[in-house]
Formats: sequence, C-alpha cells, structure tokens
Amino acid sequence: MRPVRGHAAALRAAGDGARAMAPWLVGVAPLGFVIGVTAARSDIATFAGWLTGPLIFAGSAQAVTLQLLDAHAPMFVVIMGGLAVNLRLVLYSAAVASHWRSRPVWWKALAASTLVDPSAVVALEGYDRSEDPAYGHAHYVGGAITLAIAWLLSITLGVTFGGALPPGLRLELLIPLYLLGQLLRRVNDAVARRAVYVAVALALIGVAVPLHLGVPIAIAGGTLVAIARTERAR
Amino acid sequence: MSAYVAVVVVGIGSYLLRVSMLVLTARTGVIPTVIERAARYAIPVSFAALATDAFAPSIALARTAIAPAAAVVVAAIAVRRTRSAHAAILAGLPTLWIVTALIGK
Repeated sequence: MRPVRGHAAALRAAGDGARAMAPWLVGVAPLGFVIGVTAARSDIATFAGWLTGPLIFAGSAQAVTLQLLDAHAPMFVVIMGGLAVNLRLVLYSAAVASHWRSRPVWWKALAASTLVDPSAVVALEGYDRSEDPAYGHAHYVGGAITLAIAWLLSITLGVTFGGALPPGLRLELLIPLYLLGQLLRRVNDAVARRAVYVAVALALIGVAVPLHLGVPIAIAGGTLVAIARTERAR
Repeated sequence: MSAYVAVVVVGIGSYLLRVSMLVLTARTGVIPTVIERAARYAIPVSFAALATDAFAPSIALARTAIAPAAAVVVAAIAVRRTRSAHAAILAGLPTLWIVTALIGK
C-alpha cells in the first residue's frame, strides 16, 4: 500500500474499510433488527430500547440489558449484566491502543465510541494491510461509520415494524436463542465448558433467588471458575 | 425513567471500558492479567447465565415445557452443525412455532 496523502487517498482507505465491514453486516443487521423488535415488544419505553443502539453500541450487551430490563430486574443487576458482557471491550481497547497512541485525544475519544467486535477486527486488518498508520486510521473510520449506519438503521427498522408482529410468534424467545447460539459457538475449551456449567447450575438455583440476583451470582461464579482454572492450567 | 438511567449508565460504562486500555497502556503498556482472563470468558459465562434464566421459567412448568425445550435442543444441534450463532434463531424459532402448533400450547 502506498502512503495515504491527501483527502482522495484517505477516502480510498476509508472505502477499503467500508468494504471490509460489508461481510460483517450480513450477521449484524439481523441482530440489530431482533434487538429493535425486542425493544418494541418489551415492557420498557421503546425509545429507551432504541437508545441502547447509539449509547451502548454492542449487540450482546444491548440484548442482555433489554432482557434484564424486560424481566424487571433491579437497576444494579441490569448495569452489571450489561457491563459484564462488555468486559471484552477492554481487550479490543488494548489491541488498538498502540496504533492509536499518536492520534489526537478528540480522535481517540470519537473512534473509541464505535469500538466493538467487527470494528476491532476491521481496524486490525487495516493496520496489517499497510505500514502507513494513516491508511489504518482511515480504514478504521470507513469501517466504523459503515457499521454504525447499518446498526442503527436495522435497530430502527426493528423498532418500527416489531410492534406490528403477532404475539403468537413468541418473539420474546429471540434474544435467549441468540444468546444460546453465541454461547455454543464460543465454548471451545475445557475452561470455558467448566465455567459455563457452573454458570448454568448457579443460574438454575438462582431462579429462586429474589431480585434476579441469580444472574449476577451465576456470572460471578462462572467468571471466578474461569479465572481459577486458567491460573491452574498455566 | 429507571430504564433510561440503566441504559445511560451501561452506555457510559461501556465507553469507559472502550477507552480503558487506551489510557492505561499509554502509561504502563500492559493489561492486568485478571482482567485479561475474565474478559476472555465473559461472554460464554454471561450468556449461559442469562439464557438459563430466560428459559428456566417456561421449561420448569410441565405444560409449557415441551416447545421451548425442543427449540433449545434443535437450536443447539443447528449451531453445532453449522458453527453459526444465527442458526440458533433460524432453527430454534420455527421449531418453537411448529411444536407449539402441534401440541396446542
């Protein structure tokens, strides 16, 4: 890749980033629609559900937040659930930190707001493709803007049309099924399996615990097992 | 109102997680080990707890258990076979509808 000089070259790099993001949208857009549908059909204000898009900007955490709000869980449980799922953002933050070190604070502050699974991958692809950091920066911006537009559009469509869908479709089970799918895809080693078993067992016992405290207890228990098993495996 | 507050707080917290290492590694250059380990397993553990919590009430009642239980089993098989998370919805939801229609619940 030639060094990025001038607006035209930056636009070309941003276009490359947008194209790199396109395959992700096949998976991202339906999830955004599902989240929109869930927001429209849940007990909470529809606009509050839609706001999870621009404010949280992470499908899994939005799904969890909506799920817990709809279950009338206490606020601290909702907050803990949403943030526990987003803990992985720390890793993405670390992955791009060295590339963004020379950028101005305002640029880093804006760019970080769209840092999530697909944009982190597209960002690292951009920095791999060229030794010129300016190419990587523009590549990230192009990918992140494409993702943000598609994400907010798909949520808006779900919010707009979700309320018109008949209740017999049992769409309240969309998010749990989505969580199940993501969970099964990510249980790839013995540590994860053991941590998940503990979380499931604690969640089953926790159904009887008031205030939906079973969920944070299960997350904390599973996470502690994962940390302990990883330590033992070293 | 509490829903708005929760969404805003999760949004702010998520943003702080996004900028955390930009700030920290600028000073120390390393990620704390315990955070790295917790983050690696945060998704499967959280999703397991939440999915269990969501399905448990309907599966615990014998009369309404069959359709969601069948949906979970079919979704799990579909994900294992296709290695796609979306297969859980694409296979699980129609299973839920079909079984519900067949048994009338």
